[in-house]
Amino acid sequence: MLAALGLMTVFSAHADWGRQVLWVILGAGGYAAAASFDYRRLRSLALGLYAGMILILLAVHLVGHTALGARRWLSVAGFPLEPSELSKLLLVVVLAAYLSRGERISWRMFGGSLLLVAPPACLILTQPDLGTTIVFVGVLFGMLFLAGASAWQLFSLVFAGGVALPLLPYLLHGYQRRRLEVFLDPTQDPLGAGYNLMQARIAVGSGGLFGQGWLHGLQGQLGFVPERATDFVFAIFAEEFGLLGSLVLLALFGTLLIRLLRAAAVSRDRFGELLAGGVFVMILVQVVENVGMNIGVLPIAGIPLPLISYGGSATIAMLAGLGLVQSVALRRRTVDEPVAELGTITRRAQA
Amino acid sequence: MRLVGAASVAVLIVGGLAVKLAYLQMTDGAILAGMARDNTLHRIILEADRGIIYDRHGAALVTNSAIWSLEVVRAGLPFEARARTAELAELARITGEPEEKLAATLVAADPYASVRIGPDLSQAQQLAINERLPVLAGVSMVQRGVRTYVDPLVFGHVVGYVGPLNEADLKRLRPLGYQPGEVVGKVGIEAGLETVLRGQNGWTDVEMDARGQIVRTVGVQPPTTGHSVYLSLDADLQRATSQALAAGLVRDHKTAGASVVVDPRTGEVLSLVSLPGYDTNLFTHGISQTDYSGLLNNPDRPLLNRAIAGQYAPGSTFKMVTATAALEEGKITASTMLSCPSFINVNGWIYHNWASYSLGWMNVAKALATSCDTFFYQVAAMVGDVTLAKYARAFGFGQAQSLEMPGVMPGLVPDRIWKQLQCGVPDLNSDACRWNTGDTITFGIGQSYLLTTPLNQAVYVAALANSGQTMRPTLVHEVRDASGRVVQTQHPEVTGSVPASAANLMTVREGMRQEINPPYNMNYWFRAAGVPADGGGKTGTAQWGGSGLDLPTHAWFVFFAPYAQPEVAMSVFVERGELSEVQAAPIAVQLMRFYRDHVAAIRS
Repeated sequence: MLAALGLMTVFSAHADWGRQVLWVILGAGGYAAAASFDYRRLRSLALGLYAGMILILLAVHLVGHTALGARRWLSVAGFPLEPSELSKLLLVVVLAAYLSRGERISWRMFGGSLLLVAPPACLILTQPDLGTTIVFVGVLFGMLFLAGASAWQLFSLVFAGGVALPLLPYLLHGYQRRRLEVFLDPTQDPLGAGYNLMQARIAVGSGGLFGQGWLHGLQGQLGFVPERATDFVFAIFAEEFGLLGSLVLLALFGTLLIRLLRAAAVSRDRFGELLAGGVFVMILVQVVENVGMNIGVLPIAGIPLPLISYGGSATIAMLAGLGLVQSVALRRRTVDEPVAELGTITRRAQA
Repeated sequence: MRLVGAASVAVLIVGGLAVKLAYLQMTDGAILAGMARDNTLHRIILEADRGIIYDRHGAALVTNSAIWSLEVVRAGLPFEARARTAELAELARITGEPEEKLAATLVAADPYASVRIGPDLSQAQQLAINERLPVLAGVSMVQRGVRTYVDPLVFGHVVGYVGPLNEADLKRLRPLGYQPGEVVGKVGIEAGLETVLRGQNGWTDVEMDARGQIVRTVGVQPPTTGHSVYLSLDADLQRATSQALAAGLVRDHKTAGASVVVDPRTGEVLSLVSLPGYDTNLFTHGISQTDYSGLLNNPDRPLLNRAIAGQYAPGSTFKMVTATAALEEGKITASTMLSCPSFINVNGWIYHNWASYSLGWMNVAKALATSCDTFFYQVAAMVGDVTLAKYARAFGFGQAQSLEMPGVMPGLVPDRIWKQLQCGVPDLNSDACRWNTGDTITFGIGQSYLLTTPLNQAVYVAALANSGQTMRPTLVHEVRDASGRVVQTQHPEVTGSVPASAANLMTVREGMRQEINPPYNMNYWFRAAGVPADGGGKTGTAQWGGSGLDLPTHAWFVFFAPYAQPEVAMSVFVERGELSEVQAAPIAVQLMRFYRDHVAAIRS
């Protein structure tokens, strides 16, 4: 259902609609495959997956394509592939495998998980892809939390982040730094760095209660909202469907997120629990950051809205991730919750 | 329980987003929706054609022609930095302007306004760019009206010119709806009648997409052409004045002069010339720095409109004021005989006549005809400076005439207080600051500190010819709208009356009549030109640049005709002219001949 709404919005945003349909169909295949795949076997594959992730990210640096000033794409059989999208899912799998090695999170394991995340995060940050890096950090934090890390451990992570924050401006690219500045005051450069933010806010705001109607958003249809099929797809959605539509969308995401946690709760083992929890964190972080930047409460970073935004790699990776969670749910502890219910929910996400 | 914690966090965050979203969409919704409309709706100003300026018979003195230039809408430039840079580079190549300058111009402008870039386009450039236009996003070729002035060297000082608004103009005119980049009259009639000529700009409201392409037109208000102005000027007489003055200047190796011809009955200006003139067309196309500094640094000061703003001592042409004052105040009568020695001694100071011999005893008419300085020294001393100043002002001296253009200067009628205020010495009762008898008697022959302009001189002689009534000098005959309907007609306006009896004025005019008739030499010019000496004239060779003998002079001649019922009054001024009766008078005679030969056409 989310994907269907996504298709409608992407269509409205003039993107390559036919392709996105193809991505969703491929993603559905990935979902089915992942669901039927016994997730437990992933655990033994984790090391290989991790190595593959590093390799593919390195490949991006060496032979990748450049678009909008960042090197993020690889060509695979003529299709552009954005490995950082895939890497989010791989990270969840790898972290779940690593953190499920013990019942408690020792300081040693805590440090190990940081060392695990650092290399791919650095590779992605230097693409540069701030958005995905944020997701990485969010997933790390969230999964450590779910894995039962102590308050001290979590606090030290927050503290490290706090220390690193002042350094951020030096690490960021010029345009990323500008984005942060204009986030604080978007009117200071309404046609340059602040343009995206202003136009997106205007689009969201002009949606009103009921919206302008599908294909009737002035801002979106006339091209004022930039990146309208990807990063700012939510602005288009909000302009055309209004507050009610947006709330329905958020509610759908909320439902999906709760169901993901349910899957984690009923998982038969720690790996499955962390796997489902990781997908939960991954989606939560992306939804929050994407919607947040669209309505101007968070600074702009290039993050797609899961299942809604246009983009092959992201859609397929996301559906495959949901498929894995479904796999976890199907092989759950045989006690509570009937199978049928979870099936319906995840199918809804797919349709 | 960690899972429950995570769920609560998720619910809280998503709920928070929903609240913020509701706030944004419901509370700010109306404002932001308005901004969305502003984004898409744009008002394009349709510049109104400026009114045409004609002479009194409908000969156009300026035309509107179309020229093409490039305009850029910043919001229409390509989004992607690289494409944008490439397009800027191409624009820089086309216009020949540096890329940084173009970028700076565009950044400074309203993102949705069309900004003119580069110089005007030639025919060849126009064709070349037309082919490239489809790939140059946000760029358009725009036609705009430009003023082309007819015979700018002859009419330029009257008609003036227009130019783009500068900062100061814009600040002043913004409330009247002027937009940056619009043109406004800078000098002459173009400036004086700006509001009449300008017309009413129209607009069209269009819906544009982010690339500046028009999606549809929402509404149109067509522009209204500005009103046409018909001047009182006769174009042929203006040309004749200019030619006669120019020929006179060339003959005597002079470079600057001015002449004003008015109808004494109405105050209408029939011609108004200041030489040298300059090409006002240079200004309408954006004058180059070289041309502009050339005009500014030219020692002959072509930009100065001497006819209205050149202030010079009137010299002997002022003697009719002294005569009128003396007659009216009862100091002399028409038959009072005074001597005309070669000099007089006042308190030990010697004041010379122009002649080094005595001209004998004479009445006031003959004193005017012979321009006897010593006669008028005596008369001025009898009248006194205060009364002289009063009569001078009554004849329009020291007043900026309300001609329909900016820059009209008043000249100067000095008095005791003025002298004390400007003497520059702390002690206001020192000799340098106190008015003395010498000041008074030289005042009587139009020297002292007295200053006038060629326009003031014409107004003055017209008043003499018009029974002492001063008329407001006017350049505008009537104003018509674009359809030819007369919307405003000039009516003669009496601005004052010289307190003098008809008989006394007749005595003064008689002196002017004698001057141009036998036995005086001045008559030679009329005979030579075959023009009857029917009227009255007065020469003036005014010293300037200090006091003493052998000072440089300006040459004046003031004239009215015919004698019985005057219908023209004029002033002729030759800057640095040494001999008014040789340098200024013949020019007036040439003008008079043209007037007589073409009177029917001029008066039609």
